[in-house]
Amino acid sequence: MTGAPPPAGNGPRAAVDRAGDPTTGRLAQRQAELVAALVAGGPPPAGFAPGPLAATRAALLRKRAGEVARHWPLLAAGLGAGWPSTFADWAANRPTVGSLRDGWDLARALRERGALPPAGAEELVAREVVLRYDGRSTPRPRRLPAVARAGGAVAAQIAGRVRLLRPAPRPPAALPAGGDGVPDAAGSAAWISD
Amino acid sequence: MNVHAASGDTWGIPGPTFLRLYLAAAAVLVALSVWHRLRRPASASDAVSGPLDPQQAAYLNGGPRLAVHAAVGGLRGAGAIGVGPDRRLLTTGPAPTGLTPLDQAVHWAAHQRARAGELPQDQRVRTALDQLRAGLEQRGLLLSHQRRTAARHWALGLVGLLAIGGYRFFTGLSNGRPVGYLMLAMFAVLAAVLVLWRVPDRTRAGRAALRDLRRQHTHLAPASSPAFATYGAAGAAMGVALYGTASLWALDPGFAEQAEIQRQAASGSGWSSGGTSGDGGGSSCSGGSSCGGGGGCGGGGGCGG
Amino acid sequence: MTGPYGVGIGWRPEIAGFVAELPGLRFVEVVAESVPATGPLPPGLAQLRERALTVVPHGVRLSLGGAEPVDPARVAHLAAVAQRVDAPLVSEHIAFVRAGGLEAGHLLPLPRSREAVDAVCANVARAQADLPVPIALEPIAALVDWPDDELDEADFLTEILDRTGALLLLDVANVHANARNRGTDPLALLDRLPLERVGYVHVAGGAERGGFYHDTHTDPVPPAVLELVGALCARRRPPALLLERDGDYPPAAELRAELDALAAAANFPAVT
Repeated sequence: MTGAPPPAGNGPRAAVDRAGDPTTGRLAQRQAELVAALVAGGPPPAGFAPGPLAATRAALLRKRAGEVARHWPLLAAGLGAGWPSTFADWAANRPTVGSLRDGWDLARALRERGALPPAGAEELVAREVVLRYDGRSTPRPRRLPAVARAGGAVAAQIAGRVRLLRPAPRPPAALPAGGDGVPDAAGSAAWISD
Repeated sequence: MNVHAASGDTWGIPGPTFLRLYLAAAAVLVALSVWHRLRRPASASDAVSGPLDPQQAAYLNGGPRLAVHAAVGGLRGAGAIGVGPDRRLLTTGPAPTGLTPLDQAVHWAAHQRARAGELPQDQRVRTALDQLRAGLEQRGLLLSHQRRTAARHWALGLVGLLAIGGYRFFTGLSNGRPVGYLMLAMFAVLAAVLVLWRVPDRTRAGRAALRDLRRQHTHLAPASSPAFATYGAAGAAMGVALYGTASLWALDPGFAEQAEIQRQAASGSGWSSGGTSGDGGGSSCSGGSSCGGGGGCGGGGGCGG
Repeated sequence: MTGPYGVGIGWRPEIAGFVAELPGLRFVEVVAESVPATGPLPPGLAQLRERALTVVPHGVRLSLGGAEPVDPARVAHLAAVAQRVDAPLVSEHIAFVRAGGLEAGHLLPLPRSREAVDAVCANVARAQADLPVPIALEPIAALVDWPDDELDEADFLTEILDRTGALLLLDVANVHANARNRGTDPLALLDRLPLERVGYVHVAGGAERGGFYHDTHTDPVPPAVLELVGALCARRRPPALLLERDGDYPPAAELRAELDALAAAANFPAVT
């Protein structure tokens, strides 16, 4: 996905405006160009080799995906093996606004597309009833009771206590297969090796 | 209240005398009931002390269902069980060594392709759960059925007092005797009954043991996003025991999702409060570590830190 | 309040229970931004302080290499954390993490130019003025190189250290990564760095991906990095080595084995 606007008011242009500073002007401008090229879809700055630039961009996205997954474990787990690419596609030209908001914005975008996995929907509604998030500034705690729904999941919060009133619908189980030799469908291999 | 010991006194006992006796009886019953609760059970000897294992902790914290979940967490942590596309459990090989009876029962049930939600009804699992409960009762951490009933005996005596008071109340009322103080006394007894009827399953020692365990295992709290791979199967089981099935979701969301593990916290913490943890958002401090943080999701990229 | 000594590990909440049970541990490092300036310390960390372990706050978002002056609020936070944990020193990177109002979310390299040296030194001086303890500066691993480079790595680092009087936090994995990705000799760099200025040393894991060595901190420490630790110690043994792990945490036995391997490579007592 491309063409995501950088957050209002602090685009890469801000640095260019400060480029008139005689002491650190050139360095400031060059640094701003590099950051914009890495996280905001800016043009590659003059003189940089494209290969390392692309590798840095990819490494940044991987790192961000890991950090967002830590804040949104169920969203990430719900997308399973598709998480890194889903996140990278969405985040490629969106500078980070912090892991909590990054994941929140992504979850809402997926909801609009109807691509929010059930566990992610439950995680989203649980967040929505606890914090008020306008999509532009830091989420604030809610003081009043709230109800939220997404992807069929419904959660309610009263006095800080959260209840999942209705879980998101899951696809029906596959046909029962008997006996051993059934593959583990957990989507995660046995993860403790000792 | 009328103090004349006139022939019109209900049952021939003057009101004040009856009230005094009534309140004295109630006080004795309340005192006996409280003493009964505070008394350390005779069977709770130090011979059966020693640290609680995760399944005992889970039973103490959340009853049989959480004990089963702790066993599931431990077995999943050891890689011994999985889940099929039909959402039924399965085993990935022979049972590992060093399993508790409950582990063995759950492993067997998984081998029979049980659903996670049906495990507490499984015959072997129920037997193992009963053993677990008996052990906790022996250590004086949970009240046995007999002791719960015994603890209620005194409250039952108070109910009897209420009945007597009620009878006198109506008799007095119909004879036009004053009953205001009696009514007040009955309210007090009723309140005592309501308080004393509830006999908590956990003893004071049980609550203290649980508190100690939580203090020793703060690193397993969901807020720390514990690295269960590092803490191993026992850590996974203890995380579920102390912090509820939220830990099971944290340690292996794919498994928990597919096996339809109920998502609830055991003690008010856990997933439901997860929304409040967050980072500085716009202030660009996205919390945490200097780097990496793959968290099992595709690994980190270049870090450079 | 003693300086870091021996083998340490980066304290992270995810592995707090593991770190707490290392019997011989004398020091840990903590990400400064993750420690609140007021209120209770994270429980596991408070426990380590009670055991009188040395705790070194490690900043990751000061952006000392930024062309703009370092944010005084961030320096104040680092100073407050240093005081809270009674740290003998703090550390930060020779890097920038934001520019033009955008967060990179990552440590980015500076051009090795005179202008960049001036910018770093000015920012380090600003930080030093408000910090209660010495600062150690860590050169980073970078995949990109600036076309504006005027100095080589050793001259660039030595000049910054000379002008600021700061200690060196040498990351052996970064030395390996840069040498591997630039096709240079890591030993030649070790030979030219002021090793007597080393406050302590970082060691971390990484992985090859897409033709580059990535310093991920989420993979095992590769043998080449351990060999480099040995080569460093043969030249001059640093006072302390610290293992950094930031995710994909392995079973406890593997982490212990890495700590043991570090101790063996530097002839320090084992902490496990």
